[in-house]
Amino acid sequence: MSDNKKLAFLEYKSDQNVRWCPGCGDHAILNSLQKTMAELKIPNDQIAVISGIGCSSRLPYYMSTYGFHTIHGRASAIASGVKLANPKLSVWQITGDGDALAIGGNHFIHVIRRNIDINIILFNNQIYGLTKGQYSPTSKRGFISKTSPFGTIEYPFRPGELTIGARGYFFARTIDKEIKLSVEVMKAASKHKGTSIVEVLQNCVIYNDNTHREITDKKFKDDRTIVLEHGKPMIFGKNRNKGLVLDGTRLKVVTIGEGGITENDILVHDAHCEDPTIHLKLADMEYPEFPVALGVIRDAEAPVYDQCFIEQMDKIKKESKIKSFRDLVTSGDVWEVK
Amino acid sequence: MSELRLMKGNEAIAEAAIRCGADGYFGYPITPQSEVMETLMALKPWETTGMVVLQAESEVAAINMLYGGAGCGKRVMTSSSSPGISLMQEGISYLAGAELPCLVVNVVRGGPGLGTIQPSQSDYFQSVKGGGHGDYKLIVLAPSSVQEMADFVELAFDLAFKYRNPAMILADGMIGQMMEKVELKPQKKRWTNEEIEKMHPWATTGKKNSRERNIITSVELDSEKHEQANIRIQKKYKELQEKEVRYEAIDTEDAEYLLVAYGSSARISLAAKELLRKKGHKVGLLRPITLFPFPTKQIRELAEGLKGILSVEMSAGQMVEDVRLAVEGKIKVEHFGRMGGVVPTPEEVADALEQKLIGGQ
Repeated sequence: MSDNKKLAFLEYKSDQNVRWCPGCGDHAILNSLQKTMAELKIPNDQIAVISGIGCSSRLPYYMSTYGFHTIHGRASAIASGVKLANPKLSVWQITGDGDALAIGGNHFIHVIRRNIDINIILFNNQIYGLTKGQYSPTSKRGFISKTSPFGTIEYPFRPGELTIGARGYFFARTIDKEIKLSVEVMKAASKHKGTSIVEVLQNCVIYNDNTHREITDKKFKDDRTIVLEHGKPMIFGKNRNKGLVLDGTRLKVVTIGEGGITENDILVHDAHCEDPTIHLKLADMEYPEFPVALGVIRDAEAPVYDQCFIEQMDKIKKESKIKSFRDLVTSGDVWEVK
Repeated sequence: MSELRLMKGNEAIAEAAIRCGADGYFGYPITPQSEVMETLMALKPWETTGMVVLQAESEVAAINMLYGGAGCGKRVMTSSSSPGISLMQEGISYLAGAELPCLVVNVVRGGPGLGTIQPSQSDYFQSVKGGGHGDYKLIVLAPSSVQEMADFVELAFDLAFKYRNPAMILADGMIGQMMEKVELKPQKKRWTNEEIEKMHPWATTGKKNSRERNIITSVELDSEKHEQANIRIQKKYKELQEKEVRYEAIDTEDAEYLLVAYGSSARISLAAKELLRKKGHKVGLLRPITLFPFPTKQIRELAEGLKGILSVEMSAGQMVEDVRLAVEGKIKVEHFGRMGGVVPTPEEVADALEQKLIGGQ
């Protein structure tokens, strides 16, 4: 490990030339991931980075950790195999909106449902970049691309909604270029026991440039996003005077100081709450009606598959009368043939 | 009116599909053939002929959309490249088992696994020997020009419906991506529902009191009955072998040596043949157009007057096995190929023939 804390992330860089387009948001996400690992001080040989197919999936080449560039859509299944075969490893799945939510949708929801302890970083640029610009399952309705020249006629998936719908216990959102926030949520994802989903709003500079700009641009980011922190009131805005309240069964944006609203009226974020109702509402917030939620939206506890698997095996072994092959052979009716 | 255009092989597939009256296309992007779906989307056939074009969530979804469409007696197709075609094998086997017609286009890239995006012919075995499970075959057409990419769409649909069996166009990244002059046929009308009912009484068109139910299935739990279904399917393959073999023979009359190659390799081999002829070697070329049914009989007959055959493929040597089966050990059959997306030059092919066959005597 490097003595210089600021340069510690270099220990996680590989000697490969990074082959993403200049200006691609992936560069910043790679940087955040390396910084996260440096801050958590996970030894390189205890990390496995598993990807599927797509631009994002080149990431394992750029990490000096174990890595696996696998099959389109199947990374969740392969990462599950890695984690169950070697539960000591810190397993990270790198995937995109096409890889995880189109062809890989089935494996994605099932790894979440099982709650296997892996961290999934979902690069969401709302486009197929590697195949040069077709719409993806997160492209907005009406989106124009090479395979939807007159606009899509499908609604997109919302990754947070899908995660919670699949009984997920950890969901966070960040922006590619917001490295500090990305490191915070990736650290939280790593610490969370069970499947963690981190959606990164990522810019594809070539095929879908500025797709998230209306919320990520410095000029209006503070008014159009809210960074959630557990135990803190849901306040946002450049002047820190806007907040979220519950109005009946719906969230509502209010201004502190207007209509008798005080800071005490604002909802306090409880990321650890098992009930996902508010988390779902937060994850689904879209601009312009709402600010887009960033940070850790949900981080609740639940039984973890890989731990339960080991515990179950240990318990069965302990309780079983059969301790050896000889015990097994003599466990039923035994005859002596003379 | 037919029309002359300069276009990519992938674009020609899309244009030809609309013009021959196809009913539906279902696909998922993959290099080097994404232009097929992109061209279809840009041409908006749903507004002109009523043809449906849909970007599926995966190749697995796409082939099963074909299963549904084909069961209704519609002319449905998909296109993909090697890894995507592997994903479709389950659906293809079910389509073959249920005796349904459809068209699958494979613009082959180098494998195995994710491989490369450059041209290859390493999916020959998968295409002609099955690919999915069970005793079935596809009708496999191998275009070697952009014109044939266009022409084989309608031909593949016609054969698929005639024999109620899935058909495949086995192209490669080179034919898919290169541009050539193409003569496009005039627009044909899509079949009406009445026409489908009349021509394809097996299709699920809605049961009327006047007829028995149509059941589309590939399962028969009684093994005796299932054997009968298999026998019926095998009969079709025999008939295909007898009636539908297509090939091109060039300079084979006086040939002492024969190059056998399909698709892009046939174009390279044609140039190699010229080089060898200039050197005084009597070399001919046989280009299989149907890979199943394979021109077995034709190669066997030609072999009578030959000293040796060189099978040229962008693979480790797959079609060469069928060439060897055809000549039954009577003459020497060698393979030359490059793999992993590397395209051989005519000089390499000519050298290989000289070294492996002529020099070796």
